[in-house]
Amino acid sequence: MIRYSLELALHGLRRSPKSTVLAIVTVALGLAASMTTLALLHQLSADPLPGRSQNLYLAWVDTVQAKPDSYESLNDVTHPDFKRIKMADAQALVQEHRAVRQAALAGLDADVSTTEGEHVQKAQSLLGTTSELVPMFGVALRYGRNWSAAEDAARAPVAVIDVDLAQKLFGTGNVVGRSIRLDKTVFRVIGVSTPFAPQPHFFGLDRWAFSDSDLENVFVPYTAALDAGLIPGGSDGCDDKTKRSLFDVDPARCAWLAYWVELDTPQQVADYRTYLDHYAAQQPRLAELAKPAKAQLFGVSEWLAKQNVIPDNARMNVWLAMSFLLLCMANVAGLLTAKFLRRSGEIGIRRALGAPRRVVFMQYVLEATAVSALGGAVALPLTLLGLWIVRLQDQGFTDLARLDPLMFAGLFALSLLVGVLVGVVPAWRASTIEPGLQVKSV
Amino acid sequence: MSMRIHLSVLRRHSLMPALVVLQVALACAILCNVLFLVQQKLAPLLAPSGVATDELILVDRMDSQAQPWTAAEVRRGEQVLREVPGVRDASAAFGLPMVPGALMDMALQGGNGVKIGVNGYLGAGLVKTLGLQLVAGRDFLPDEYHDFGLDGDGSHGWDPVAQQPIIITRALADQLFDDGHALGKLMSDLHDNQGNGHGYRVVGIVRHLLRNQLGLATDGRADNTVLLARRIGSTSILNFAVRVDPSMHDAVLKRVAAAIQREFGARMKEGATARVSFYSERRAQAFQRQRAALWLFAGVTLAVVIVTVIGIMGLTGFWVQKRTRQIGIRRALGARKVDILRYFLVENLLIVGVGIAIGMLLASLGNRLLMRHYELVHLPWTYLPWGALVMVILSQLAVLGPALRASAVPPVVATRSV
Repeated sequence: MIRYSLELALHGLRRSPKSTVLAIVTVALGLAASMTTLALLHQLSADPLPGRSQNLYLAWVDTVQAKPDSYESLNDVTHPDFKRIKMADAQALVQEHRAVRQAALAGLDADVSTTEGEHVQKAQSLLGTTSELVPMFGVALRYGRNWSAAEDAARAPVAVIDVDLAQKLFGTGNVVGRSIRLDKTVFRVIGVSTPFAPQPHFFGLDRWAFSDSDLENVFVPYTAALDAGLIPGGSDGCDDKTKRSLFDVDPARCAWLAYWVELDTPQQVADYRTYLDHYAAQQPRLAELAKPAKAQLFGVSEWLAKQNVIPDNARMNVWLAMSFLLLCMANVAGLLTAKFLRRSGEIGIRRALGAPRRVVFMQYVLEATAVSALGGAVALPLTLLGLWIVRLQDQGFTDLARLDPLMFAGLFALSLLVGVLVGVVPAWRASTIEPGLQVKSV
Repeated sequence: MSMRIHLSVLRRHSLMPALVVLQVALACAILCNVLFLVQQKLAPLLAPSGVATDELILVDRMDSQAQPWTAAEVRRGEQVLREVPGVRDASAAFGLPMVPGALMDMALQGGNGVKIGVNGYLGAGLVKTLGLQLVAGRDFLPDEYHDFGLDGDGSHGWDPVAQQPIIITRALADQLFDDGHALGKLMSDLHDNQGNGHGYRVVGIVRHLLRNQLGLATDGRADNTVLLARRIGSTSILNFAVRVDPSMHDAVLKRVAAAIQREFGARMKEGATARVSFYSERRAQAFQRQRAALWLFAGVTLAVVIVTVIGIMGLTGFWVQKRTRQIGIRRALGARKVDILRYFLVENLLIVGVGIAIGMLLASLGNRLLMRHYELVHLPWTYLPWGALVMVILSQLAVLGPALRASAVPPVVATRSV
C-alpha cells in the first residue's frame, strides 16, 4: 500500500513540475539557512579536549590586596575577570600539589628566532607554564621530552616547540637539542610537539576564544620567561602597593596566571574545593581590606558558559534562520495545498472507488515529505556554500564553520521533519474532499 | 462592494486566507527585526561626527618600546607636527573619534539626576584641532590644562575645592539638564576616576562630537562625549589629531607620516608602524567591517521578500482560478472589470492587515525574547509601521497579477459549468 502511495506521490510531483520545483527550492533555502547557522553553532559549542575536559578545573583564590572594585560602567565596559591568580599563590599551590596534576599558565608574546637570527617568526604566542601542563592537557610530544618540576624550580631556559614552528625555523622537525631565541634570550629546545590548538581556547580566553590561525607554539617555564624579560599581557587586578603604571602588569603583584588542575573523581573535586577554601581563609591581610575569603573551582563547560564564549550573533543568526525556515514552511504548505486541491477531481474518484480518508491523507503527507527530502538534497550544496561564505568573513570563530557527519544527519532528519509538518495541513484538506461533489463535476 | 461580502467569503473558505495570514505575519516579524538590526549597525556611521572630517588626520598604533613615551617627547611631537607644511594644528590626545584603542569610560550625573555613560577625550587644544563647533560658552583656557599620564593621574595640582572645567555636547546638555541650559552648571563624576571629588563645571557646549565606543553610538547616544582639560603627559598609549589644509590632501598625509616616523620611529616597538590616515578613511574602514553583516541582512530581506511574494502570488492565483465561475457570474450581473480588480485588492488588504497585526505582535515578542538572552536593545515601536508598510506594498504588488487575470474573466464563463 505504501509503495502504491509513493508511486502516486511521485506521479503527482511530476504532474505540475513548475510548482514542485518552486516548493523544493523554497524548502531548500530555508533548510540551508538553518543548517548553516546550526552547523556553526554546533562547532562553537564543541568540547575543546574530548576525553579530558571533564576532569579539568580552573582553580581561583582571591588574594589581591586591593579594595573590591565597586566600579560600575554605564558604557558596558567590563573589567577583565578571567579568574587568574597571583604568582605567589601559583607557586604555593604547585608546591603543595594537592590535585592529580596541576599547572599555572599565562599567554605571552615574543619574537622567536634561531640563535644566529637568520630565521625570525615575529610576535608568536607563547605559553608560560609549569611542568605538568603537557601531560595534563595531553599535548602530544613527537620528539624529545617535557621539562621537569626541578627545571621549573631552577628557572631553566628550556622550551617545547611545535613541529610547524620547528619546520619554519630549522627546516626540519626534530630539533631537540638546538637553541632558539625568545626576543633576546636563548632557550634550549628539549621537546617537539604536534600543534596544540583546542577550540575554544578554553585555558586562555583572555587572548582569544576561537581561531584557526592563532595558537601557542612555544611552551616554556613561566619563571624562565619572566627572566627573559617577557611581560604578561594582562591581569585581573593588582595589589594597591604596585608601582602605579597605567597599562603594564607587575608580575609580582598582579593576578596574571590561570591555574588549571586535573581531578578525576567527585571525591577529589570535593576535597580540592575544601582545600582551596581553607587556603583562601588562611590568607592574612585580606580582612583589613574588608574582603571575604573567596575560592572557586570551575569545570571546563561551566567555565565556557560563564565566559559566554559563543558569540551572541552566532546564536542570533540561528534564531533568524529558524524564523526564515518557518516562513518557508508556511509558504510550501500553501503551495502544496493549492497543488493538491487542483487534483480534487482525482481525489473524489479515488474516494468514490473506496479509498479511505486515511490512505488519501497518507499519500499526500508522503508527497510533501518527498518534496522536503528533495529540498534537503538541494540544501546540502547550498549549506556548503553558506558555510564557505561564513568562512570568508574574518571574525576568528567563523573559520570553524564546517559540516560534520552529525550535522549532515541533522540536515537529513530536519528535512524529513519539515516535510511531515508541512504536509499535514494540505493532506488533511485533501482528504476531507467530498467524493460526490467532485465526481458530479467531472 | 460591501465589507460583509468580503468577510463572508473569507469565513466560508478560511484555509487559503489563513495560510496567507501566517506567511505575512512571519515575514512581517522577520522584516521588522532585521530592519532594526540594520539600523543598529548603520546608526553610528550615519551620526554627525562634529569634527572637520576633510581636514583631520588621525595617528594611532604608536607602541613604545619598553618605556612609555615621556611628557617631553609628547610635547616635542606636537611641536614637530605643527611645523609640517600644510598642518594647521596638532594635539596629542587620549581618546579620539574613530580611534577605539584608547577608551575613557565615564559616568556623569547632571542637574536632573539622570546618569549617563560617556566617553571622555583628553588633549590640549582639541576643540580647535578637531574643528568642533562651540554653540555656547568657551574653549578651555591655557592655564586650565593639567597633565594626564603615568607621572600623575591629573588630579594633583587641582585646587582641592574647585570644580574642573568640562566641555560637553548639546545632546548631553539636553539629557543631563531639564531645560537644556547647562552652561556654568555642575555635574558629578560617578566613578571619579579623573576628578577630585568636586565634579565638573560646564564651560562650553559643542554642537556634535561622536563618541569612540561606536557600538554604543545608537539610540541617541552618539554624542555622549565630553572633553576634559588635560594635556597628555607620559603615556604608553599615544594618539595624535592633526588638522591640515585640505587642499594639500595626500602630500600633507605623507609629510605627517614621515614626521611621525622621524620623531617616534626609533623608540617604537620593533615592527610596529604608526597608522596615519584621514578621518574619512577610518570611517570608510568602519563601514567595511559592518559590510558582511549588512550583506547578510540584505540577503535575509531579499529571501524573505521573494518567498513571501511567491507565496502570496501562488495562493491568490489558485484562489482566483477556483472562483472563476463566480467572477463570471458577477461580470454577467453587471460588475465592471475595475470592480473585480478592486475586490481582489481589498480582499488582499484585509487578509494582509490581519497578518501584519499578528506579525507586529510576533516581532515585539521575538525582540523581547532576544533581549532577554542577548545584549540587544528594545525594538522601538516606530519600526513596526515601516515593516507593515513594506508588507502592504509587497502583497498588493504580488496580488496584482492574479487580480488582473481575474478581472479579465469574460462574463460568458458564467454560462459554462466550469
